[in-house]
Amino acid sequence: MASGALTRERDVREAYAAHAAELYGFAVRSLADPGLAEEAVQETFLRAWRAGERFDPQIGSLRTWLFAILRNVVIDLGRARSARPSVADGGIEPSVEPFDEALLSWQIEEAMRRIGDDHRRVLVETYYRGRPYAEVAAELGVPEGTVKSRVYYGLRALRVVLEEMGYED
Amino acid sequence: MKTESCREWRESVGAYALGHLKGEELAKLEAHLEGCSACRAEAAALVSVASLLPHANPEHFGPAPVPPPELGRRIAATIEAERGAKRRQRRIRLGFGLSGAAAAAAAAVLAIFVLSGGESGGPEQHVSFRSLPSGVKIGAALKPQAYGTEIHMYVKGIRSGTLCQVYMRGPDGRDVSAGTFRYRWGGDAAAVLSAALDLSRAKALVVHAGSRTFVAPLDKGGTALRKQSQEEEPT
Repeated sequence: MASGALTRERDVREAYAAHAAELYGFAVRSLADPGLAEEAVQETFLRAWRAGERFDPQIGSLRTWLFAILRNVVIDLGRARSARPSVADGGIEPSVEPFDEALLSWQIEEAMRRIGDDHRRVLVETYYRGRPYAEVAAELGVPEGTVKSRVYYGLRALRVVLEEMGYED
Repeated sequence: MKTESCREWRESVGAYALGHLKGEELAKLEAHLEGCSACRAEAAALVSVASLLPHANPEHFGPAPVPPPELGRRIAATIEAERGAKRRQRRIRLGFGLSGAAAAAAAAVLAIFVLSGGESGGPEQHVSFRSLPSGVKIGAALKPQAYGTEIHMYVKGIRSGTLCQVYMRGPDGRDVSAGTFRYRWGGDAAAVLSAALDLSRAKALVVHAGSRTFVAPLDKGGTALRKQSQEEEPT
């Protein structure tokens, strides 16, 4: 058995402590259903434990491995859900966002949460809301140059956080 | 250009990466980037980050949902239960019940192998059913003990949950109970049973599985390597 394999209950507890929040956050984002997300996270850790001997930390990180399992779980759940007739929305199935796109979205959103409030704020106002720098500066009571500067440092911070999260472009 | 003056440029590089620079401002920065590889590299890195922004939805920038505290406990409990089940399976091994198709197949042919020497208590007999429906396997290992005979039943491919009753047939033709077990699908362990009959006196091993009965005559000699026999019909 590979050393570091996820075979003991303690390993699973540690893996849960380290990664459950992220997995759950993503599962909620992806499935848009907290109950289903719980189910997905539970199933992910169970599968991880059952296949624990196959986890080799030399091949990839535990986080990556867990997300790969979650990916399969989410796909399975999406399949099961789309097989179920839906009454609530008049028979139109909610489409399950393709996993990789959902994962990418979630990673960037998570990175946004991790950068400073000031940095996130200017990125939201100038980029997502498309507001002029001068207007944002006036609202924040800072010089326009400061807004620009925050945009610059915000993007840098975002890059660093994404790298920390294991994102590779 | 050198880093000192680049500080000022860099503030525009963020806006540039987001596509917010226009007109003269843009032209000036582009001219600078032309001649400054450090700023060019910085701009490229930020353009790459900025290209990811459309994938995110600012409505999701708020606090991430937190998993409910009972989720961790539930997972731990499930794993604990599953691990316990695995252990029990290893210790005990299961029973069986024939599926309809399996039961439709005719006589089971038993092959009896006599192996020399288990541990104490004399030679162990291995009995395996042959000519069973595909996917079905039934076998037993019989070991003489002071109290009688120890029986390890191995079953596979049979309907989960079927009750199996095991007997050893004595010289007088009477069956001595060895106990019961149920086959559980996915289980892969032997059911360990015992009968108060000396193996040397036993004439046959009898298994009632669901509505079927299998009788495996036992070889006494201890030298016969294989003897085929068969029998069985509904009780």
